[in-house]
Amino acid sequence: MKLKKTMMVLALVLVITGMVFAAGKTETVEEVTSKKVSLYANITAIEPILEHYNKTTGSEVEYTRLSTARYVSTILTEVEAKKLTADVVQGPLPILEILRDQGVLAKYEAKSAADYPDWAKKDGIYLFGIEYVGLIYNTDLVTPEEAPKRYQDLADPKWKGHIVMADPGTHATTISWLVGLKENVFASEAEWRTFLAGLAANEPMFVASFGPTPAPLASGEKKIGISMPKYIVTHAPAPLDYAKISPMLGSPRAIALTKGAPNPRGAEQFLEYWLDTDAAGRLANDVGEYVIAPGVYPPIDGISDIEVIPIRELSDDELQKWGAEFDKIFSLK
Amino acid sequence: MLKRERNLTYALIVLVSLLTVAPVLMLVMGSFSNSLHSFGNFTLKKYISVYTDPMLFSVLGNTAIFVVGSAAFATILALFLAYLNTRTDIPFKFLFKVLSVMPMMIPHVLFGVSWALLLNPSNGILNMWLMRAFSLSSAPFNIYSLPGMVLVEGLLDMPIAYLIIAPAMGSFDASLEESSRVFKSGPVKTLMRITLPILRPAIMAAFILCIVRALASFGVPSVLGMPGRVYVLSTFIYRVITVSLIADYGKAAAIGMSILVISVGLIYVYRYFTRASDKFVTVSSRGFKPSVVQLRKGKIPLFIILLLISFILIVLPVLVLLYTSLVPYVMVPGKQAFAAMSLQNWRVVIKDPISLRSLKNSLFLCLVGATVGTFLSVLVAYVIVKIKSKASGFLESISFLSFSFPGIVIGIGFMWYFVRTPIYATIWALFFSYVATYLPYGIRPMTSAFVQIHGSLEESSLVCGASFATTMRRIVIPLLVPGIVSSWVLLATMFFRELSLSAVLSRPGTEVLAIQILRFSEDGQWGRLSALGLIMIAISIIMVAGVNILGARFKPGEVREKRVKVESQPLKATS
Repeated sequence: MKLKKTMMVLALVLVITGMVFAAGKTETVEEVTSKKVSLYANITAIEPILEHYNKTTGSEVEYTRLSTARYVSTILTEVEAKKLTADVVQGPLPILEILRDQGVLAKYEAKSAADYPDWAKKDGIYLFGIEYVGLIYNTDLVTPEEAPKRYQDLADPKWKGHIVMADPGTHATTISWLVGLKENVFASEAEWRTFLAGLAANEPMFVASFGPTPAPLASGEKKIGISMPKYIVTHAPAPLDYAKISPMLGSPRAIALTKGAPNPRGAEQFLEYWLDTDAAGRLANDVGEYVIAPGVYPPIDGISDIEVIPIRELSDDELQKWGAEFDKIFSLK
Repeated sequence: MLKRERNLTYALIVLVSLLTVAPVLMLVMGSFSNSLHSFGNFTLKKYISVYTDPMLFSVLGNTAIFVVGSAAFATILALFLAYLNTRTDIPFKFLFKVLSVMPMMIPHVLFGVSWALLLNPSNGILNMWLMRAFSLSSAPFNIYSLPGMVLVEGLLDMPIAYLIIAPAMGSFDASLEESSRVFKSGPVKTLMRITLPILRPAIMAAFILCIVRALASFGVPSVLGMPGRVYVLSTFIYRVITVSLIADYGKAAAIGMSILVISVGLIYVYRYFTRASDKFVTVSSRGFKPSVVQLRKGKIPLFIILLLISFILIVLPVLVLLYTSLVPYVMVPGKQAFAAMSLQNWRVVIKDPISLRSLKNSLFLCLVGATVGTFLSVLVAYVIVKIKSKASGFLESISFLSFSFPGIVIGIGFMWYFVRTPIYATIWALFFSYVATYLPYGIRPMTSAFVQIHGSLEESSLVCGASFATTMRRIVIPLLVPGIVSSWVLLATMFFRELSLSAVLSRPGTEVLAIQILRFSEDGQWGRLSALGLIMIAISIIMVAGVNILGARFKPGEVREKRVKVESQPLKATS
């Protein structure tokens, strides 16, 4: 009898919970079609900027985080099924260019990007930042004097077993960065290859992406890493600093509106906000991002003196070719 | 086969096919399609590309060691723990029962990170301690290795094996062992010739499920394998799809097909070894007697061994998480770290609106999803074990389909499937994909439990005029309570921390806890990650303990005792 009663109570609880959730879902759908702006992005830790936007405009942003690996596939699958809910898309420039070529993006003239350099405006796609990559080290284990003064220094055998970096065979930004060094820093390909051989001989520890690089650096498991200086801001007070080597290279970060956005006016309003100096300042100060908005820098000592340049966008074929090459150099295959 | 049984079998085949075959069909189409995001222009080039990759050979070798090693470790440890917890008078049983299932409540990435902090060769806490204690010049252990991966994956999968073996062990008829002893067989001979052979279906089920789970595992291979440059199939798939700006999930599906073939093959191996199911029946109409083995002199040494195993393998990594949640960044324990301790990470997590919404969604998926999944599992297991036809064999195979793929791949199959339906981007997409993918977790404990119940019990009920539903409700299900509890616990804990499918199908408003864990992990926020992970573990423990208490109230022995009491009361009154 008790079993029966317990089962009935359980069934009732399940039905009520289901109804509550079903009701909650209907509300969310209504809200999406009215006031909310849907943002698909691969940039992380931007919640403070979205909160500020909500406070100043009263409009909410629904932030769907898409990793680079599944960015294009997800969006094109949704487009194919006519179920793309994104109003605004943010991602690496080559990805947004692929979406533009597939007819997913809208052309929009952003007023707040009027002062941006011409190279940052690409037919409806706006570059707003650079995913800058540098040599980050643990200040408890490495003094500024010991830190590398040029990229070649990372191939010094003294760093053997002490380096962490993203997998150079698969991580697109790391592949582009290494190729960027060849094209922007090293005098010759031979010199660059010597550097790569030295780096490989130092047996760096590989992780999937930049995200997991700061933890082993902060804990002292590794002394130095190829990582992003923005972690000095987002992981404060961890004992992290960066090697002040100029130029610093990075992939351009881009943003655009989608064609047929469910909330086009909200999308335009958000894009104007995002490209504005005020939001760019927040992006730099709160998230440590390197932004293109003139005169705005992240709160990292000496960063304004460093030249940060966007690297050439590698095509898909180039990425695969160099990924396979780095696999060989780093003895992965 | 009776008409009623046939109808039930075919209804379940249709239902399970809708859940599992459809996404797999999408993957098959994707693996043969030329395009990256639509079906058509069929080609073999994706298969040729991945199966001629020079890395594949070493990957297959690593994978074989990883999956067999971790599954064997998980099964042997589970067997040991299940025996002590269910059949002996070991002290603090309840505590050990909870500890035995604890690793499955911990997100895999978090457990991997915790072990990396303990055993990394540079400054792992345990390694440092051992180096100081024994004056060693280098770290004795390297967690970024194949043995390290086997250890951690084995621990994470051990609860799966435990929850399959423990119910079978709990409803074991001890008179069989007593008969063996009467014929002067020693404890080892009794164990080898009576106990283990009778438990073979449960042991096989546990081992196979652990193999399939390890094949699909991504967390441990990515956190511990990648830094040590040890690649297995799941991380190989990750490499294949991340090397391009437009991920080619068709290639991932092409690799997934070989995992599917292995999994389906394993199911047939399992069926072969357990084909004479009558041999494994221990609960028949003669009544059964789950008895307690007195450990006597072995009680204290075994208790100490159990305590040590539990502390080193389960409690210590959780303590590391607690420590990490209290420090501002990942720090080696010391004066500086203790001085910097605060509750800041906990405050951030508790106040975070997305974390709270994720908690609400995860609880819904866990409670409702596990209940629906368990109900479906009871029916499917009944058809597999009791009806035993070609159709039921087919049902068993398709119930494994979604589960056999690495989560990252099957998630895409579900995305391609659900995007063609109205449930895309809703909580129901997560709900149905969870139930479909993890159905074997519900079915395995149920089939092990069904195998042990003799058909004569149902036949007696039917002969006495009870309907099929009444027979199930009053005879079969009460005897299945340990299996039902195991199924529910397995599904609920799995749903509560599910990541792979959620990462593909979750959208704003339908975030789940594991997505928050992933966000913190991508941002390198290990403190928040640990705080949220510990909240998940605490909630899971409460759920598991609650369900175990509920299950204990209704387990057959208790029911029978109560009935005896009730029946004896009027006699007392009249006497």
